[in-house]
Parts: sequence; structure tokens; C-alpha cells
Amino acid sequence: MEKQIFDEEEKRFYNLKLSMKVFLSNKTAVAGLIIFLGYVIDALLMQFYPEVIGVRNPNTLIYNFINPVPQPPSAQYPLGTTYPGVNLLQAIMEAIRVDLGFSLLIVVSGALIGAVIGVLAAYIGGYLDEVLMRVTDIFFSVPYLVLALAVGFVLGRSLNSMVIALIIVWWPIYARYSRSLTLSLRESMFIEAAKASGASNLRIMFRHILPNTLPPILVQISLDLGSVVGIFATLAFIGFIPNANIPELGYLTSLGLNYIQSAPWTVIFPGLAITLFALSVNLMGDGLRDVIDPRRRS
Amino acid sequence: MNPRLTGQARELAIQRLTQEFHLNQPVYIQYFYWLGQVLTGNFGYTNTPIFSGPVSTAVELFLPNTVILSLFAALLIWLIGIPLGVFSAVNRDSAADQGIRVFSFTLYSMPIYLIAIALILILGVYTGLLPFSGEVSAQLVSGLPWYVNGISYPTHILLIDAMIHGDFQVAWNAFLHLIMPALTLALAVMAGIIRILRASMLETLEQDYIKLARAKGVPEKVVNNLHARKSAMLPVVTSFGYTVAGLLGGVVVVETVFDFPGIGYWTTQALLNDDVGGVMASTLIFGIILVITTLVLDIIYAIIDPRIRY
Repeated sequence: MEKQIFDEEEKRFYNLKLSMKVFLSNKTAVAGLIIFLGYVIDALLMQFYPEVIGVRNPNTLIYNFINPVPQPPSAQYPLGTTYPGVNLLQAIMEAIRVDLGFSLLIVVSGALIGAVIGVLAAYIGGYLDEVLMRVTDIFFSVPYLVLALAVGFVLGRSLNSMVIALIIVWWPIYARYSRSLTLSLRESMFIEAAKASGASNLRIMFRHILPNTLPPILVQISLDLGSVVGIFATLAFIGFIPNANIPELGYLTSLGLNYIQSAPWTVIFPGLAITLFALSVNLMGDGLRDVIDPRRRS
Repeated sequence: MNPRLTGQARELAIQRLTQEFHLNQPVYIQYFYWLGQVLTGNFGYTNTPIFSGPVSTAVELFLPNTVILSLFAALLIWLIGIPLGVFSAVNRDSAADQGIRVFSFTLYSMPIYLIAIALILILGVYTGLLPFSGEVSAQLVSGLPWYVNGISYPTHILLIDAMIHGDFQVAWNAFLHLIMPALTLALAVMAGIIRILRASMLETLEQDYIKLARAKGVPEKVVNNLHARKSAMLPVVTSFGYTVAGLLGGVVVVETVFDFPGIGYWTTQALLNDDVGGVMASTLIFGIILVITTLVLDIIYAIIDPRIRY
């Protein structure tokens, strides 16, 4: 008996090692991971020690109306300035924290809500399944950007309602995903064993099924992070947060839009920051998919 | 309500309007009144800087522009995206394949408004090849009897209306204005399609019947284009439902960035101007369009793959 447990653990450790090896052998995935870590470090730095690079309040942009016209990159402003006199490098570093933080909040809450709903629908089945799945169908019948606009309109245009709107847009994908995962898990041996040993339905759902749906959902979260950062910035870009004074990459891009002909750096640098982030997440996600998908392992 | 009313007359008018528009009822009851009106074809009223009046008129004016934009984008996807995906799979791991993969991966990671800005910078600002604002140059259409207040007659699609009236200079100009928004939409959607098509094409090329065709001496070109391409398209068509959703969401952003007077531009205007009628109606309309296109795609799917019968 003891030998067997030992084997199990060894097998798990071996699997983990193999996963690491598969991931690390993928050069582009590692590059993605390094860029992603750079963003995370920037966000953490801004969250806990903003004074280190001379930022007093990472939640607001510092305007300079004495010299509002965009300045080209120079020693003082390494990435130039954008209207009205905002130091672009500093603003982008602050914005990464805001975008990353809110996107993580959106994806994780969306995934949690969706996972619970999906597990409930699949495990209990019957009418509940029908009702929950038809509701998610309704959410799928409107393009998510339009749906986010509509929800934001109802809640009023502000940063908070934008976050709530995107959570509302984002959970149905996870509901479908975790439902299909649960449907296949439900038939497996260990669930039957749990049932035989007299575990309640609630216990089976939340102690046995939900944790087992987590690994693929975590991969999905990491993949979605890139899209959510993009959608978040898109909404801010088309004017969802009026008169905002917050550093946000989409909002920063829209500030420079009127100067696109004379000062293209005002849109290029914030745009580059967001593209690089999405790129790194997607590269990383590709590597993770290789790890999860046994067919692509050797 | 007449703003000059005072005293009791004013009170009475408020009472009458509250009754008439059910403003004393809870929101969900009001919603059912709205739904009832929608069933009779009355979508309410919209008031935005680009249009104010009945929603149905707004849809009549803006929807054709969006349709022509999406169709043009779909044409570009068909002409550029699908050949690129097939080429990439056939010449696997060549320099061109690597290039196409990096290109589509970068596009895939860019939010759509950044693709628009990149195109504006490259094709508009630096080279000056194409215009990037509005649907036509204003000085060309001022005083035209069939183009009034930014609306062309009779089809409301400027490109087609200009041709109907024989004004090919305006038609050409409208066409030039259409290219950049359509290209943005196409590039945004293309990225996903190239990736899926390449993967499924690679899988198809491994199949036995392809090997048989090759062994029989069927020319490589025929094998790729006739035998492999058709079945490789299946996953692309399946994923097209999501693609259409992306396309419709993209329309909102693209039309806003390029000031293109379509239904997406109107939707953002409605949002930014707190216009209830516009937001409710456009959400519904986007939903209807998505459902209809998904249905059409299901039918196309059944035509491509004869095994599928609903």
C-alpha cells in the first residue's frame, strides 16, 4: 500500500517534470513567459514601491498644461510625451498595472462564476441545465463588444461599470467550457467511488469535480488574459470612461489620436505595450497547450 | 412636452406623458411594453449627433453601409486569408511559412483599434495612399441632389448610388474610403482563420486519400487545391460563427475609428450620448444579425459536408 502511494507521488512529480520540460523546450513559449514576467514585475513595482522610480500616485495621470503639446522622445522623456504633457514612459508603466490588474480581476471572476454555473448545470442536469444553457446562449447571441457596450450603458459609464460589464460578458464562455468538462468527469471511476462512499452531491461537485476542472480552466484563463486586456483597452479607447484621469493603455492611445500625423509616438508606444503583452500571453498559452494536450507530447 | 407650459397645464402634461410612456411602471414592465412595440415594428427614437429620429429610419440609413463594409471585408478575407493559410501549410516550415505565421500571430494579438491605427499610419499618414475618415470626401458630394445631409439615395450605399447616378468620380472616391476600414476588419478576422486553416490543412495532407491521389500521379496543385483544401475548410467554417461575432464586434470599433457612418458608429454615438433607444435597438439588431448569419453558416456547412444533415 505504502509503495503504491509512493509510486503515485513519484508519477505526479515525473509528470510535472515532463510538463516543465515540454514547456521549456518551446523557445517561443519561454520568450513569452519572460516578457510576461517583465509586465508582472512592472505591475508589482507600481503596486508596492512606486516611489522607486519617482511615481507618487500610480492611479492618476500627471498633466502638464504649461507644455501640453506632445514632445518627441528625449533624455528627459524617453518615450516622449502625449497630450496634455503626460510623460509617456511613466504613464505606460502605471497603465500596465491598471490594465493587468483589472483584466486579471475580470477573467478570474468570470471563470469562477462560469465554472460554478457549468458544474451545476452539468451535474444536476434536467431543467436546471436547460435553463442555464439557454441563458448562456442568449449571451452568445450578441457580439461581446456590443453586449459590453449595452451593459455599460445600463450601469453608467465609469471604470467600475466597465469591469462589471466585462465580467458579465466573460462568464458564459467558461460556463460552456466547464459544463463539457464536467460531463466527461461525471462518468469517471473516482466519482462513482465517492458516491458509493456516501458523499453528498454538493461535496462531489465542489470537492471532487470542480478542482479537477481547474487545470484546463487555468490554461484558458492565461489565454484569455491577452484578449481581455485588448477588449478592456478597446472600450476605453472608444470613449467608455469619460474624462478619466487614469493611466490606461487604450485611453492613453486615444489621447494621442489627434496628434497621429505630427506625433505618431503618442499612439505607437501605448499600442506597442499592449500588443507586446497580448503577444507574450499568446506565445505562453501555445506552450501551455502543448503541455496539456497529450497528443502533442512525446 | 412644450417647455413653455407653466402651472397646472405643465402638471397635466407631465401626468399625460407619464401615463402614455408608462414611466410610472417598473423597468421590467416598461421593457415588455418596449418588446410589444418592437413586434409591431416600432423600435423607438434615437437622438445622436449623427442622426436623430425613429430608430427604424436610422437602421435603414446605417445598416446598408455596415453590410457593404462587412461584405467587402469578407471578400478580402477570401482573397487574402484563405490562400495564405493554404500556402503556409503546403510550404510547411519554409521561410514564407514562418513569415506568415509571425504575421498572423502578431495580428491575432493586436486589439482591432491598433490594427486600424497601424493602417492609418502606414497607408494614410506616411504614404498618403488612402483617405481614412468618413465615407467620401466632403467637397465631392456637396450640392449633389441625391446626397443630402450625409445620406445618399436611393439605396443608401454611396458606392452603388454614385454608380446608379453615373458619377464615377464619387464612386471611386467612396471605394477608396471603404478600403481601409474593410482591410482592418479583414486583417483582424484573418489572423484566426489563417491559423485554423493551416492546422487543419496540415492534418488533411496526412490523410490516406491524399497519399493515394499523390501515388496515382495527380499533380500536386490539384491535390492541394481540389482534394485537400475543401475538407480542410470544414474547421474554418465551424469556427466562422465565432468569427462573425468578432467581425460584428469589430464593426463597432472600425466604424468608430474611421468615422464610417454604419450601424456600429451609431451604436457608439448612442452610448456616448446616453441614448436609450439607440443602444437597445442596436443591441437587438446585432443579435438578430448574428443569429441569422449563424443559421446561414450552418446551411453552408451542410452543403460543404454532405454527411451533415439537420
